[in-house]
Amino acid sequence: MIELKGVDFHYGGENGTGDGVDGIDLTIADGECVVLCGRSGCGKTTLTRLINGLIPHFYEGELIGEVMIGEHNVSKSALSETSKIVGSVFQNPKSQFFNIDTTGELVFGCENTGLPRDEIGRRLDRTVRDLKLTPLLNRNIFELSGGEKQQIACGSVYAAEPQVYVLDEPSSNLDKKAINRIHDIFARMKANGNTIVISEHRIHYLMDIADRFIYLDDGIITGEYTADEMRAMSDETLAEMGLRCTDIRNIPANMQNDSFQNAAPALDVIDLSCSRGNSRILDIDRILLPENSIVAVVGDNGCGKSTLAEVLCGLSPSDGSVALGGTFLSDKQRQQQCYMVMQDVNRQLFSDSVLEEVMLHASVSKEEAEQTLADLGLADFADRHPASLSGGQKQRTAIAAALCAGKDIILYDEPTSGLDRTGMQRFGELLNSTRSKVRLSFIITHDPELILHCCTHVLHMERGRVTAFYPINAEGAQRIRHYFRSKSSDTTSKVREKQSQIGKILEYAGKERSKVYWAAFLMMIGAAASVLPYGIVGVLVRKILRGGTVTLAASAPLIGAVLLCEILYAVFYMLGLRVSHHAAFATLENIRCKLQEKLEQQPLGSVMARSKGELKKLFSDDIESIEMLLAHMIPEGAANLFVPAIALLLLFYTDWQLALLTLLTAGIGLSVSGRMYSAGMDRMGSYFAASKRMNSAIVEYVNGMEVVRVFNRDGAAGEKYEKAITDYRDLALNWYRVCWPWMALYGSVFSSIVLYSLPFGILLMLLGQLEISNYILALILSFGIGPLLLHCMNFVGSIPQVSFKIQSLEKALDEVPVKTGDKEITGDHSITFENVRFSYRDNEVIKGVSFRAEQGKTTALVGHSGSGKSTLAKLLVHYYDVSEGHIRIGNTDLCDTSLEQLNAHIAYVSQEVFLFNKSIMENIRAGRQNASDDEVIAAAKKAECHDFIMKLPKGYDTPAGLAGNMLSGGQKQRIAFARAILKDAPIIILDEATTFVDEENERKMRRAMEQITAGKTVIVIAHKLSSVRHADQIILLDQGAIAAAGTHEELTANSDQYRQLWAMSEETQNWKLKEARI
Amino acid sequence: MNISVYGEDRGALVHFDPRTKFVIFLVSLAVSANSYNAAAHSIYCAVLCGMLFLCGKKWNAVKMSLLLGFAVYIRTCMEMQATGSTVIVTIISFLVTIFLYFFPMLVSLLIITQTTRVNQFLSAFQAMHIPTKIVIPIAVMFRFIPTVGEEWNGVRKAMAFRGMSLEPSAIIRHPVRTVEYILIPLLFSCISIMEELAAAALARGMDSSQQRTAYEPVRLKAYDYITIILFLTVGIWFFAAGLITGGAA
Repeated sequence: MIELKGVDFHYGGENGTGDGVDGIDLTIADGECVVLCGRSGCGKTTLTRLINGLIPHFYEGELIGEVMIGEHNVSKSALSETSKIVGSVFQNPKSQFFNIDTTGELVFGCENTGLPRDEIGRRLDRTVRDLKLTPLLNRNIFELSGGEKQQIACGSVYAAEPQVYVLDEPSSNLDKKAINRIHDIFARMKANGNTIVISEHRIHYLMDIADRFIYLDDGIITGEYTADEMRAMSDETLAEMGLRCTDIRNIPANMQNDSFQNAAPALDVIDLSCSRGNSRILDIDRILLPENSIVAVVGDNGCGKSTLAEVLCGLSPSDGSVALGGTFLSDKQRQQQCYMVMQDVNRQLFSDSVLEEVMLHASVSKEEAEQTLADLGLADFADRHPASLSGGQKQRTAIAAALCAGKDIILYDEPTSGLDRTGMQRFGELLNSTRSKVRLSFIITHDPELILHCCTHVLHMERGRVTAFYPINAEGAQRIRHYFRSKSSDTTSKVREKQSQIGKILEYAGKERSKVYWAAFLMMIGAAASVLPYGIVGVLVRKILRGGTVTLAASAPLIGAVLLCEILYAVFYMLGLRVSHHAAFATLENIRCKLQEKLEQQPLGSVMARSKGELKKLFSDDIESIEMLLAHMIPEGAANLFVPAIALLLLFYTDWQLALLTLLTAGIGLSVSGRMYSAGMDRMGSYFAASKRMNSAIVEYVNGMEVVRVFNRDGAAGEKYEKAITDYRDLALNWYRVCWPWMALYGSVFSSIVLYSLPFGILLMLLGQLEISNYILALILSFGIGPLLLHCMNFVGSIPQVSFKIQSLEKALDEVPVKTGDKEITGDHSITFENVRFSYRDNEVIKGVSFRAEQGKTTALVGHSGSGKSTLAKLLVHYYDVSEGHIRIGNTDLCDTSLEQLNAHIAYVSQEVFLFNKSIMENIRAGRQNASDDEVIAAAKKAECHDFIMKLPKGYDTPAGLAGNMLSGGQKQRIAFARAILKDAPIIILDEATTFVDEENERKMRRAMEQITAGKTVIVIAHKLSSVRHADQIILLDQGAIAAAGTHEELTANSDQYRQLWAMSEETQNWKLKEARI
Repeated sequence: MNISVYGEDRGALVHFDPRTKFVIFLVSLAVSANSYNAAAHSIYCAVLCGMLFLCGKKWNAVKMSLLLGFAVYIRTCMEMQATGSTVIVTIISFLVTIFLYFFPMLVSLLIITQTTRVNQFLSAFQAMHIPTKIVIPIAVMFRFIPTVGEEWNGVRKAMAFRGMSLEPSAIIRHPVRTVEYILIPLLFSCISIMEELAAAALARGMDSSQQRTAYEPVRLKAYDYITIILFLTVGIWFFAAGLITGGAA
């Protein structure tokens, strides 16, 4: 039990402000969870410090009264004693750990209290298990995200097993994912029967854990509420008390009237990518942000938000183009136009006074600067030292400095973390008032209240990609509220890899790796053999110069050796090439298989979203380029570097001065090629983006050739094609323009190393320091080295290309697969949609759909096109993961079962029927691989296919490619029906064809459909209402939500919308019939 | 941030005790100061590279030994040929000597920092009965190096927004002002971190007078003793040789 009896405390000492708490009488029972809330500076943090003993032992001041935890007097006993029963977690994740590795940090508290090692081990295990910290073990803490650091801090305290947890604003720097995690951790602590005291601004996530809310105002406890009482408070009451929302669902939105329809783009980003080391952090096709907008950027920590901001400001190097206000600018130019208000504002205040700070490098007069300060409410502080200001004031000083420096775009990094409601609202107003003065405000935030309070748009990011961009209108507001309530994936930040590019490729090589080394070794021997003749010739020359007589007979062995060397060179080189090619092609096979496996696990939707050209390039071209690397670059490169090194050592032996000179020239050559490498690397992204666009354009052009020819050759398609090709040409030329000066330079340096050693050698000879025979030998060796190095350098030029391709490959392998599990599907074959939401890029297509399709019944989904009918079907077959909610078959969630299981239960007959390039027989057999011919024919008969198939030239053996052109849409669909009949799955999804068939066909279709659906759970996506009027349940969808549900009769009686739809459908029907009669 | 003080010994072939590494470091200092015998010195350096290899930094060890070999080779070639103008010879041999002089220190430092984790350090210190009052500041110092790096990164970015250049030309023109711009924000943010860190340290019972325990076991094994004895012998031999040679000269 914690007891505070008549406690008064005021901060004193040097920096004491006199603030504090008065007359605190508070009793907290064991196992209770108490939340301290109130405005900033109300004394909540002071209370936590009183409980964990930092007051009075660390923070000085006057203390009256005493704080007791059970029998333990916190105010009187030493801190080290209190620390055994009270565990503290603080606001800033950065400044509460002492080790560099996570495991060390987790056991740190236990070590301090002197627990025996076995006990520490036991507690570590328990902590890791209870708090699910396994992925974070043995990591470098500096690599972790803030949320992960905070989890480690909680874990470290948890391992010490205190009775009381004191948490001081633990969520203020965290994203929604981390908040979810620490919520679970706190729930666990509470379940263990510990007392928890939390001081917090964000209270919504504590509503289900907290037993009691203590409201403080100006150092005095003025209210105590239960969670239910808090929930019942209206937003106005909360606002009056300065408290943040209790439920994200209830945050009111300030809807924007401005439509931004005609706004010019403030920021236009095309094909932006950014890599650090080997991992690509950003990969953005296009962002277009309108002028004078306030854009909130949301996404989990580590998804690339901060990197995007830095790239936009020109701080981090990137590929691609960024335009501010319509003009494309370089990194340097962007730096001048952008300004970032950092989360840690301390870092960006440089001067002695606020006014000086604002005037620093400002483009305005002193009067204007003072005016700006006044506008931001800083007029009274103009002469104060920035360090003496409060956090909010520092932030405003930084904003004032940005405004005075005439910046166009201001970026904010989590500006409202740790602010109370008033602070957040004040910041929102500030944003609104500066909105007209700057082109764009770009806010990285985890704060839904701020977003709904003042932002105009939201930009969603996920894994370095922009997944959605939408304005905050009624729909957008709803979506953002849902986003902040939804669960995040439980991935942890990646362990940073220090592997080199080449190392990574060798990893792909797997077992073949030793072959690559072997090849390199063989080639080294070959290369050495190729250099040796130069040495032999040198020896001969030396003999002559020393006055010896050289006869043919005497030198025959040497000449023979030269010949032998050449033969050895050829043989070993060839052997090496053979081995390396073996290794390379085996590796390619590995990678292709791996890529295919990955693609199969990915959401089908996102695979289909890639253009065919892109996929083809990925599978064939990009992977092929690795062959170049494995088969040539690594072994040959190693050989060609190794031999010059040996030759150089020989040269040192001959004459060290000449050798040093050669080393110097070779060094210059290498550094030049290094420059080329980095210059080439810089432009590589744009170059490849252009080539990707060109590839897609070509494929599109070829696919659409038919249409293009029939209609208009010079139409938009042609234009697009032409533009893509011109772009590619320009960028390719641009890239070569950057590279060629360097290429020329190193080419000349390497091929003429001799040129530099020639005059110097003569000088040395004249000085008598070098024998002529040694000189000749040196010259000959230089001749030998040059070509090898040059050969090597040719590879350097292509490393950036290859490395870029590998990155795009890695990225494709890296996509998130759809969530699957290995549970069996149990229960009946009913289908339940439970509050399902799904967004596809910028649009939320499904907005909270719930319904149940009973086993053995037919459920029809009807609605206008675009109402989400087909999307629901696609979600049911798990082409995509739902953004929120659940879809269940029987008792099993789709995410818990495997795709194979699901496939065995569902037959999906879609509108577009794909026929494999095999016989019709095999095409139907695709429904069930092991079906016999008779079964196939029986199914075809049931599906009313048999007659028309028999009319085909070779009946069932007609190749589908040939038959494809003879079959009508209706006939193709009936083949699909036959497949479904053959598969005999308990659930059938029928996406009814919109392509209209003649009456004869339609009758057959209807009969076939009856065959399939007998006794099954059926979901029909109906475009013609007449065909589903007898369905057991009709669900009318409107813009992604259920407008009405019931039988045909019920709906006709109750729903206006349904009647309209029905009337419309009948009308077209009649119109068709009429037309047919004419 | 490239300064890596995050040591790890996962790839180690032999897990030496931190104390052994300290002994190696101290002996290396003695060897550097008393190396009058070039051949013996080179052999000692090669042995150090071997130790680095055993401690798990294999690639580093290979690189270091290549560098060592190259330096020794150049020196030998130069001595054998005895050619070249005095200026060049002086410069080159000076560079080579400096490199060889610092080589043992460098490698033994690598062995300590790159292959030892902070908590292993702490335990080793404890085992040596060094008081907590000294151990804790050292631990915090280790932890603070990356922090300063992070802060510096932030300040550098903030400077770019304010148009304060960090290019050499700008630094040469306004050295004092540049230093001021760097130091003021750096100090203020480090101080605030320091204070929070101190509060967190106390709240976690770091000032406890109780004996700390160690989760990570550090114990001197047989190979540790052998290594320590060998290195100490070598160190004493070098020292003695140094005394004799020095005394003779």
